[in-house]
Amino acid sequence: MTNLTSNLTENFLKTRSEIIFLVGSILTSFGILLVTVGGSWDITNHLLSNPETFFSPPHALMYSGVAISLTGVVLSFIGWKNLQKSSDSYFLSLKIQLIGIGLLTGAGPLDFIWHSYFGLDGLLSPPHFTLIIGMFLCSIGGMIGISRYLKFNNSEPVLKYLLILAVIPVWLSASGIISSLSLPFSSTDFFEFNPEPTIAFIIASLAYPFLISLSLTLIFKLSNYQFGFMSILGGLFLLIYSSTAIIPNFAMFDTIQFYSLNLIPFIVADIFLKLNRSKFSMFFIGGLMGSVFYMVYYPYVMYTYNEILLGKLVSPSLIYFVYFELIQTVMLFTLIPAIIMGVLGVIFSEKFAKRILMN
Amino acid sequence: MNKFLIYLSGFVILFLYFISTIFILPGEFLLAEQLIPEPFFQATLSNSEIILGDSFRLDIVSVNNGDYADIHIVSVAFPDLVEIDDVVKIATYDFSLSPSYISIGEKIGSKYSGGVETTFAQYPSIEAMSRPLKSNIETHFDIVVTPNTSGIFNIYVKSIGIPHSSNVSHYPYSGILDHQNEYVQVYSVTVNP
Repeated sequence: MTNLTSNLTENFLKTRSEIIFLVGSILTSFGILLVTVGGSWDITNHLLSNPETFFSPPHALMYSGVAISLTGVVLSFIGWKNLQKSSDSYFLSLKIQLIGIGLLTGAGPLDFIWHSYFGLDGLLSPPHFTLIIGMFLCSIGGMIGISRYLKFNNSEPVLKYLLILAVIPVWLSASGIISSLSLPFSSTDFFEFNPEPTIAFIIASLAYPFLISLSLTLIFKLSNYQFGFMSILGGLFLLIYSSTAIIPNFAMFDTIQFYSLNLIPFIVADIFLKLNRSKFSMFFIGGLMGSVFYMVYYPYVMYTYNEILLGKLVSPSLIYFVYFELIQTVMLFTLIPAIIMGVLGVIFSEKFAKRILMN
Repeated sequence: MNKFLIYLSGFVILFLYFISTIFILPGEFLLAEQLIPEPFFQATLSNSEIILGDSFRLDIVSVNNGDYADIHIVSVAFPDLVEIDDVVKIATYDFSLSPSYISIGEKIGSKYSGGVETTFAQYPSIEAMSRPLKSNIETHFDIVVTPNTSGIFNIYVKSIGIPHSSNVSHYPYSGILDHQNEYVQVYSVTVNP
């Protein structure tokens, strides 16, 4: 009788702690999602030179996101501390979240010091890069936490949709890393942190296709091959990018129809994988996802290619002119490497998913 | 059979997607008319002649008569100065960005390229900038000048709209070319000893 009571108490505590850990991981991922959305919106505001004070909506979104993530990591820690036998399964997630939040919160004072000494900074600077790496690690930690919870607990199918919340911040923050290493937005009076144009060209052409393919095939595997998840994830990415990078610039508003067409490859990929998920089929989808990177990363990816292929002055109302002027040349140069990187994304996502799900 | 039809439809849709996004839509968007800003300014000198030690004022009212401008610039340059120092003071300024002081030897844009083609400044100047500037909005840039030598004191004034999509996207349209190979209007004051 005593043993039974003790087992029941233990199970109750375990379940409660796991739920606390899950809520913590959800908040961590959601917080990072807000930071990435705010960050993308902030870049657009800077490009448009909208009069900006510290108390601008993108900044509010970013700082709220940091606060939510911090709360999430604290909750994850509380949940993990009370877990007993299964604490090892969640330790990796917690460890990554803790490192991430350390970098994320540490980047704030570092940014302040940087601004005090060197004035305004560009997209790539030591504090900004610390911030982006912190965001990326937090989102990875959150994703592992959510995925493992869903795997260890046979949860309601509807809870699987949490995977979308888990993967989208990873995709967006990794995009932030690639963008800061390839976009020419980092030249200031004190430092020239703009990447060398040829290196930027190579980074963008290889890393974006890899990332799109990795993110989409990863959610497909984490969700146990659930139909529709790739389309929802891809659609959400397009929605976030269009609402933060296209809609705020009235000169680009008409191009929304062009951008929304990018939902097509995501839906077709979902349908093809529903019919056949053999290795060949997965590689085909990976290549397809890689090949559409220039369209999916409209409009800012154009700045990287303009540097080396055209060298034109791009003011906000000219963004889409230069983008469309470049599209065929960029496709010509990047299509094959992009397809190869897309296939590599599939291979990597297979290994990554196994590691996350501890298979 | 159904599976075959689904695959076939998928490939057709993908084919149409690539054709539309790479060839058809870019062609259509590139045919769209670009915005053409038309900057214009009127400048008024308070004096045409002063005594050394006295000051004069140059009031500039600029406007964008054309389409929405991503950037509206008014540049005031001083070909007779080596340094701006205390010779030039800004009296009125309502542009959206802070004024930018350019010194001799600094790398600057040329030929209305917005920085794509560059040259080096041969004399100091001040650039006033609004980002963006809608049509028919006036901006003001007034300076007070106290020359420190006698003789003719020249001031070059010009305005540029970006995107620089037409020959009317700068003002003046002709006349004297400055160190940036761009047209300027010259305002001169005689400074008597």
